[in-house]
Amino acid sequence: MSTSIAQSSSRRVRNTVLVAVGAVIIVATYLYLVIGQPAEVAESSTSRASLIAMGGYLIGALLLAIGSIHRLPTATIAMVPVAIALNIVVGQIVAVIGLPLYLDSIGTVLVSALAGPAAGVVTGILTNVIWGLTLSPIALPFAVVQVVIGVLAGYAARWGMFRRFYLAPIAGAVTGIVAAIISAPISAFVFGGATGGGTGAIVGAFQAMGQTLLGATTLQGLLSDPLDKAITFTVVVLILAAMPGRFRQRFPFVREYRVFGKTSPKPTGEVAVER
Amino acid sequence: MTSTLYLDRRSPVHRLNPVTKLVAMLTIVVIVFAVPLWWVAGLIVVGVVVPAAVVAHCGGRLLSLSLKLLLPIIVVLVLVQGLTFPGGKTVLAEWGVLALTTEGLLFALGIGSRIVCLVLTSVLFVLTTHPGDLMGALTERGMSPKFSYIISSTLQLIPAFRDRADGILLAQQARGLAVKGSPLARVKVMMPLLGPLVLGMFTDVEERSTAMEARGFGSAARRTALIPVPDSTAQRVSRWLMLVLAVAAIVVPIVFGVL
Repeated sequence: MSTSIAQSSSRRVRNTVLVAVGAVIIVATYLYLVIGQPAEVAESSTSRASLIAMGGYLIGALLLAIGSIHRLPTATIAMVPVAIALNIVVGQIVAVIGLPLYLDSIGTVLVSALAGPAAGVVTGILTNVIWGLTLSPIALPFAVVQVVIGVLAGYAARWGMFRRFYLAPIAGAVTGIVAAIISAPISAFVFGGATGGGTGAIVGAFQAMGQTLLGATTLQGLLSDPLDKAITFTVVVLILAAMPGRFRQRFPFVREYRVFGKTSPKPTGEVAVER
Repeated sequence: MTSTLYLDRRSPVHRLNPVTKLVAMLTIVVIVFAVPLWWVAGLIVVGVVVPAAVVAHCGGRLLSLSLKLLLPIIVVLVLVQGLTFPGGKTVLAEWGVLALTTEGLLFALGIGSRIVCLVLTSVLFVLTTHPGDLMGALTERGMSPKFSYIISSTLQLIPAFRDRADGILLAQQARGLAVKGSPLARVKVMMPLLGPLVLGMFTDVEERSTAMEARGFGSAARRTALIPVPDSTAQRVSRWLMLVLAVAAIVVPIVFGVL
């Protein structure tokens, strides 16, 4: 640990630059794909659009992750694998039980609420990298969506959205809207709207009603993502309420931004959390 | 239960440096997505991916895994885009608002060929590359060891996590929790499962982080590799050649117009 002050401050500048460039690349990719609206009729240009969608999003997400990981203390790094396993295992169980939801970002939101947006970014991108390595490479192009969820959940926690039970679903729905908008170009240009049976049928229905491919995938995402993320955020706020206050208050992020307010939230009504 | 798809075989493909395979995979993906001709993807699958799979003795596993992943996507893609493609003009058959168009089918062919190539290439990469070797090779090249810790650790955690989740679910069922029922009832099942699961797993984290800190995990010093990953000059040269090829695949269609 012999890094001098000058070195560590230059490293901090480098990390900030990486995060800023990553965020700009992601936003620019989306704007190019939407405003540029590569003429969808010519099949040749969707090829370029899909390359830009995958490349831009992946490079942006990677830069965000590289810039974020160095800020994380060891206690947070040790928590990330647990959160990723939670994402993947719950996501699989939900698919097996047959719920019409994804619920594959509970761990990401949990880590963001306890340790901030930077931790959420790292959890988000690595969830999809590991998903790609173990179960299905189709998850990889969507890595940026989990990154965006991590960032938004972290800021939601900063702004006190996890202090009250009724605020969490609202923050979740807003996150879901952004997630749907960001993911639409990937499902449109890379997968032609065919990311699954049910979602594919909805995309087809919107196209038959006269929507463009990108418009159809955006609307399809807006139908499912806000609900999914509202439920995810609610589940997370319930889990957090069930955790011992000592555990929650151990995180510097929680103490600094008073994520849970002065008193801890109490579960109400019949959705009381089992202990 | 293993948490990776890796198949332990002895073959030249398995012996390649993981970075070489990673670069090869990325090059193929870039070429397929940059060149707007569907038969390029077909040519790569027949000429590169299939021979590599045969050499690596993973042909059967690659086929079964890829079919499971690709079949639903391709069926939905052909149906949705074939019938409702917004740019469809040449109508082959018509049922109300649905019309089978040549443009739609060609569009599905273009997208489908790329997805097939993407899935086959990445599944083959995962089948022939041990995650540990990949992490080691990438860390040697300057990737933060924190990334490799998280990825390797998660791969070990997932089976343990799944076991614990199954155990909790069985225990809750034993005390009368109904797993079947309406969607709303099933959502309620999630909470008695998640509560104990998360609490149990997260309480282990503190001890682990203390142990890691005590062994210098947070140090910014550069690490040396315990098990160096073999590399060769031929592979180093081929990686640069593939990089040039990928850049050419992007630049050529732009400079000379769409082929």
